[in-house]
Amino acid sequence: MKEIKFVLNGKEVSVKADPLKRLLDVLREDKKMTGVKEGCGEGECGACAVLKDGVLVNSCMIPLGAAEGSEIITPEGIRDTEKGKCIIDAFGTAGAVQCGFCTPGMMMATDALLTQNKKPSVDEIREALSGNLCRCTGYDLIVKGVQIASERGKDLW
Amino acid sequence: MVDSYRPKDLKDALRIRGEYGSTPLAGGTDLMVRYQSWAGTLPLFTNSVMFVGHLHELKYIKKIENSLEVGGTATLSMVADHPDTPRVLRDAVLSIAAPALRNNATLTGNICNASPAGDSVCALYALDALIRLEKNGSSRELPVVEFITGPGRTLLGKDELVTAITIPLKNSSIDNFTKVGTRRANALSKLSFTGIADYKNGRIDSIALTFGAVGPTVVRSVELEKKLLGLSRAELKAGKESILSDYSTVIVPIDDQRSTAVYRKKVALNLLDKFINEVADYE
Amino acid sequence: MGSNIALKEDDIKGVKMAAKISIPVLRIDAREKAGGWTHYIADYEFDNLQHGRFLRSERARAKIIEIRKPDFPEGYYYIDASDIPPGGKNNIQMIKDDWRVFADGDVRYIGETIALILGPEKQIVLDLLNQIEVVYEDLVPSFTFQDALSCKGGAIHGTDNIFAEFLLNIGDVDNAFPGAVRVVEGVYETGFQEHLYMETQGIVATWEDEKITLYASSQCPFYIRKSVAGTLGVPLGDIRVKQAATGGAFGGKEHFPDVIATPLAVAVNKIKKPVAMIFDRIEDISFTCKRHPGRISIKTGLDRDNNIVAMEIDTLVNGGAYESSTPIVLQRAIIHGLGVYRIPNARIHGRAVATNTFPSDAYRGFGAPQGLFAIEMHMSHIADEIGMPVSQFKRKHFIKTGDITITNAKMHDDVKLPGMLAKIEEMSDYSEKVKKYEDDPLRGIGLSFVNHGGGFTGNGEQAVIKGVVKMKRLEDGKAGLYVSVVEMGQGLQTALRKIASKELELDYLDIVYDNPDTDIVPDSGPTCASRSTMVVGFLVQECAKKLKIKWDEGVGAEAEHVYTHPEEFVWEQETLQGDAYPSYGWGVNVVEVELDPFTYEVKTTGVWAVWDVGVTIDETIMQGQSSGGVIQALGYASIEKCELKNGAFMQRTMADYTIPTSLDFPEVHTVFIDNPYKYGPSGAKGAGELVFDAAPPAYAEAVQNAIGKRIYEIPVTPEMIMEALR
Repeated sequence: MKEIKFVLNGKEVSVKADPLKRLLDVLREDKKMTGVKEGCGEGECGACAVLKDGVLVNSCMIPLGAAEGSEIITPEGIRDTEKGKCIIDAFGTAGAVQCGFCTPGMMMATDALLTQNKKPSVDEIREALSGNLCRCTGYDLIVKGVQIASERGKDLW
Repeated sequence: MVDSYRPKDLKDALRIRGEYGSTPLAGGTDLMVRYQSWAGTLPLFTNSVMFVGHLHELKYIKKIENSLEVGGTATLSMVADHPDTPRVLRDAVLSIAAPALRNNATLTGNICNASPAGDSVCALYALDALIRLEKNGSSRELPVVEFITGPGRTLLGKDELVTAITIPLKNSSIDNFTKVGTRRANALSKLSFTGIADYKNGRIDSIALTFGAVGPTVVRSVELEKKLLGLSRAELKAGKESILSDYSTVIVPIDDQRSTAVYRKKVALNLLDKFINEVADYE
Repeated sequence: MGSNIALKEDDIKGVKMAAKISIPVLRIDAREKAGGWTHYIADYEFDNLQHGRFLRSERARAKIIEIRKPDFPEGYYYIDASDIPPGGKNNIQMIKDDWRVFADGDVRYIGETIALILGPEKQIVLDLLNQIEVVYEDLVPSFTFQDALSCKGGAIHGTDNIFAEFLLNIGDVDNAFPGAVRVVEGVYETGFQEHLYMETQGIVATWEDEKITLYASSQCPFYIRKSVAGTLGVPLGDIRVKQAATGGAFGGKEHFPDVIATPLAVAVNKIKKPVAMIFDRIEDISFTCKRHPGRISIKTGLDRDNNIVAMEIDTLVNGGAYESSTPIVLQRAIIHGLGVYRIPNARIHGRAVATNTFPSDAYRGFGAPQGLFAIEMHMSHIADEIGMPVSQFKRKHFIKTGDITITNAKMHDDVKLPGMLAKIEEMSDYSEKVKKYEDDPLRGIGLSFVNHGGGFTGNGEQAVIKGVVKMKRLEDGKAGLYVSVVEMGQGLQTALRKIASKELELDYLDIVYDNPDTDIVPDSGPTCASRSTMVVGFLVQECAKKLKIKWDEGVGAEAEHVYTHPEEFVWEQETLQGDAYPSYGWGVNVVEVELDPFTYEVKTTGVWAVWDVGVTIDETIMQGQSSGGVIQALGYASIEKCELKNGAFMQRTMADYTIPTSLDFPEVHTVFIDNPYKYGPSGAKGAGELVFDAAPPAYAEAVQNAIGKRIYEIPVTPEMIMEALR
């Protein structure tokens, strides 16, 4: 057990845990950030995606000790921001949400994409979402959702 | 439960490595899967762990004369984004998993995982990459083909860390990396192929042919490549069947949950066939 | 797709119900899910929660000689069959009750539950589990159809390993075959498929208010209640089941949750503390039900004019070690065995066999995809044999309104296939491309036609389910809707609200509808069989009409509506004769591919779909169903390989069992045609399974068209294509 500090959704936090504990478990269990989902536990599905120092990562593959001192943003840290609202509304309009289990991770991937590329093409969107698996939608309406977010949010990213 | 360390800098890391022989963990994308346990419990590491992903001294990529030096904790995304990264390596790196994983995984990790299906390794074999190993007080450099000795096995000493990968930049005229995965993206390799070649005065001056996931390590035969050096386009074309037949003796894949031995071998030879044609037809 | 997606701000606000029900509204659950507010079962919190893990069989077939256990610390439990209370049964009450809660004395498949280990600390539970040693005496296992039919190692089920056997017959096959001038035969095989819902299986069983209460990721809360009550030997009302938000199901959460719920309930009954079981992904892929593998042999006789005069089909499905819903899956496979074609003389023999593999169970389509793949490929093979374009040969045999079906009933539907074919021709340029690709060794295009019966087969709705829905006027001009069918991603919460609000002339947001709780809602049946919108939706519509009449009675006014079977549909269950389904959804798919000649990988370059689902309750939701169903089916047809090795699945992780990513297939171009069904809400028919059925044969046809070799099996892997081209 060790006291480990990092910045979570803009606030400095301190967690007492084994540094090898998965960041995913720390976020879900210790920090009650249940917007972060576990879909596979092996970095395949993207349901646990968070931003670490501004880039998209899978929190199931990061031990807490490797996140020490870093800045972590979960769906809880985005959803009430203008960007988060824009993505959520766009997903709603497009019909991008079905069972919803992958969707918070999709929101994180969308934010990461639009941060790098304000007006992505369909191919770029599909590439950016390729690590976020969805079994319900066949991706078409999620791609549409990202396009709508990019259009509506052109001044946000 | 095992101990873990977070060194403050490289020097500290080398000290810890020397003292405890802790397993270095950079991105964690291989290790955390290998030691995965029940969700909510600790991963089943058997050795102490040292976090190294944060070591900024090693998080760099730079061009030094005719080489690209990739720092020991540089991520795959950094490798893919660098303008001087050779095309086969860029293609190989971009064929690994998806953006979120590449943002975290390191080139060093992909090498030290020493999987015969490691996509970047297939390209690094062809590029004659050198692995720099450091320990407290000394360092050495090994070609990647020597560094990796078997599936999951390397010559990394218990007290050493990989601090850099040096890739000679050759500006080759003909190159190709092809990955055959289990799907079109975010896939593991059924097999992979890298070919690099160049002519001088109408004759093959340099050639490298490597195959991933068709043997216990990435396959590269310097001996067979030597037979190709000095060939003209016409000679290469004429000798194609014999080259393929030579290579069919060194490509010895297995059946597993991702593909079959027969398929792996056939496709590896198809890709070689295609590459030889490209080389022979190169103007 | 693009043009009919509304981009207006209004759409994300909750508009008054439009006159036409198909006009999209914002899904009621979209925002909460997208932002991560929605709690799935793994997100719930309970005081004093215990964590459970199964001790599972490592052998496919063996006697248990001894189980050596370490000493359990205080607060840790080993729960097995001996903990089932007096009056209870070590059986899970599914459609059949042969599946045991705990293996007792012997094991019949790898992964079978032997015991439940539980306690407060997961690591200690895991350590205890690892110290348990089960001593087996191996028996000879049986895995394949051949093993099963020859009763290898002795019968697993009955005396012959046959879970179910049916024979359907129309006309006179034996007299018709001799008149045929040409006979075409083929054997068609389909593999296991894993549901791979993004949320793994999970249930928490608790002791609340002196009652066992289960929170479950589930399609069928009442199924869980029935199975738990049966296992414990208590009245149904003693068990309460609350559905948690369900992160995808596709049939995988129809019966399988009973396999988790029953051992958990036995434990809670004993220790009176909440116990959670949330599967890890590797556990979920390794140890949950898959789609039934099928082997379907078809023999067809043709006359001089290339008309089919007779067809004989032999259908085998692998049910695994326990029967569960297998006979009903087999029924659907054979009833869909002739596809969309009118065959004057036909006989279908179906058998479901027992093997020592993980029990197969419901998966989107429920037998129909296997039957439809076989008939569609076979029709294309006949066309190839006689040198007629596939579309022409298939069209020539389209069933028409009033024609006789395989269960000797009249086709009641207004069959619009010719128009749907014309539509997809226009969208995809199919026939032109067939010509263009004739001499192209790398490109191909495939065309498939399917139908899918909505609701339970035969008399299931009136004899077994007898669905009930209730509505009530609430405060503030709102109406409560009480049904047991669940939202699992398909959009039901929105669809049912739209249906109810249309009749009540309310905003759809004013319909109050929570995830079902068996203590609150009536049993309107399970969420399966494409019945929730068509059958339960119709009950909701009719119930809303009743409430509308009573609306002025004020707050508290209630209405109830019970399923009544339309008199024109007749069914005899013993002989499987009559109207197997009151109506069908219909579909046409075109898939276009390009082959890599060096790696034999197939790139899908175009996908088109035309559907007749009666009327769409929400155009956007149905677009999502179409894209999602088609892509899931294309995975089944191509990359979703799931093989057995000595009774265990070889693909156990998400890296090895590969479902489509966003880069594997292109956009699905979808069109819905209007064809209202009079007993569907606003004319809607079943849709959720239909959209899965058509893509596999269209894909396989496209590949065979590209490589010039017939395909008989899915998934069509690059390895298979390489072998075919050798």
